[in-house]
Amino acid sequence: MRRFFIVIGVLVLILVAGVLIGAALGPVKLDASRFFSAILMRGDASAHILVWDLRMPRVIAALLVGTCLGVSGCLLQSSTRNPLGDPQLFGLGGGAAVVQALAMAGTLRTGSWGLVALSVAASLIGAGAIALFASRQGISPARLALIGVSLSALAAAVATGILAEARVFSQQSLSFIGGSFANRGWSDIVPALPFFGIGLVLALPVMGRLNALALGDLVAANLGAEPKRTRAIAIAASGVLGGAAVAVAGLVGFVGLLIPHLARLLVGHDIRAILIISIPLGAAVTLFADQAARLAFMPSEVPVGLVTALIGAPLMIYVARRVL
Amino acid sequence: MIVNLEALSFIRNDKSVLSDVTAAIPDGALTCLVGPNGAGKTTLLRLLAGELKAASGKFLIDGSDSSTLSQKEVARYFSLIPQDVQPPPHFTVFELVALGKYEPDKRALWWRLNESERDAVNSYLSRCRIEALSQRRVEELSGGEQQRAWLAFALAQEKKFLLLDETLDGLDIIAKQSFFRLLKEIASGGKGVLLTTHDLDLVAQFADRVIVLNSGKVSYDGSPGTNLQALFAPNNG
Repeated sequence: MRRFFIVIGVLVLILVAGVLIGAALGPVKLDASRFFSAILMRGDASAHILVWDLRMPRVIAALLVGTCLGVSGCLLQSSTRNPLGDPQLFGLGGGAAVVQALAMAGTLRTGSWGLVALSVAASLIGAGAIALFASRQGISPARLALIGVSLSALAAAVATGILAEARVFSQQSLSFIGGSFANRGWSDIVPALPFFGIGLVLALPVMGRLNALALGDLVAANLGAEPKRTRAIAIAASGVLGGAAVAVAGLVGFVGLLIPHLARLLVGHDIRAILIISIPLGAAVTLFADQAARLAFMPSEVPVGLVTALIGAPLMIYVARRVL
Repeated sequence: MIVNLEALSFIRNDKSVLSDVTAAIPDGALTCLVGPNGAGKTTLLRLLAGELKAASGKFLIDGSDSSTLSQKEVARYFSLIPQDVQPPPHFTVFELVALGKYEPDKRALWWRLNESERDAVNSYLSRCRIEALSQRRVEELSGGEQQRAWLAFALAQEKKFLLLDETLDGLDIIAKQSFFRLLKEIASGGKGVLLTTHDLDLVAQFADRVIVLNSGKVSYDGSPGTNLQALFAPNNG
């Protein structure tokens, strides 16, 4: 328990540092006094706009998406007993990606609230398919992963087809496929907040039961952990969070897959602890990845998914070799 | 306490798996359920655990009709360790056995073992003679050690009956004998133990009662002092 609180404390400090870096650094330089004045809602209007209207929404978007993906991956991995559980890899984000592609192509015309709601609904359809397959007796983790990857590939093909058909070949489509927080404003974040809340609220009551699911459905049912219901709720929560993440940032890869494994290395394998740690850990990894994507090639930038893949791939290989 | 099976039947895909099964499973005794592959042993255990519903017939738990109880209520009497149970990834033996104390309806999100529950878990580890392994990962243990860990987990649930489905498969003869002795000891402590197995010699040596299933029907229910092999249907394994 002591270790758990130490890890939480360290992650909170890292997050505070990340938020300050995200708000302070950028192509337009701010000296310390102007920056802190702006942070404290004082000082000149240009610094205020720069910090609160341009940089801070992007920081908050990264925190939100990182949390969504970390928790979503954790719920998928624990409820399906599958170390490959990830909202993007299992196709949950795929449905949301198709919705976003339709919006970018101009086929789907709706406001930002409607777009987030449709993304979450599409993600829930993918979640429903995964929940259906995962509840079938005797389906192996490898087969479930294959089904998930196939759904994901299908959705990616449809989304790419929609973008190609509409001739959306701009930086915009690259940012969407690779994931990006560029130019995100409060109007992009606020519609996702209710779904973020719904996903976490759905996940909370089943957290205690997810450990029992590790024993297999028959034993979990015998303990009274209601595996089918628990899994359905966990995957639905994962779908809501995964869909909200895609609506805000596009397809940010590796975060949902990697974070639960990193959390397990830090705090052991109690799902409750892993899930709680996945919140600040997912937020921190995504925030720093975005800072790297934004600042490394200033004034231009690369998709954040490129950075998460660069960090995530070697880490995942390490985890797979040492822990799994 | 006694569990009475009364004309229990189960049908899967229009095929009769259990037919008119009538038998008794008392507490304080090691009852072995034997029969060829496909005889319906696993199905019977899953019916008792409340996982499956009988097509007809019923079983009485100390006189109460189980068909009036929910799956959760039935499960309060039976700890089930299924066939081919997989060790939970990364769990230590202590953590596995401690999960036996988890009661989803009573425990809050942040449940932790209290002092007396911790003592109880340690006592079950000691009873199954695996206290020295308590901090080892379950997946790293030998087959025999893993089965003892699962048995301690079943005991930690403190239910009246243990349902063990082919728990001894893959163990060597020494480990099997040792496990049978342990089960006998647990049964004589007051638990009802129902074990499905193919080891007829060990059944004859250790069981208090034997139920023989052939093609979903009970062909024998009584003491093990008989030629069990002869009771198997000739056209089955």
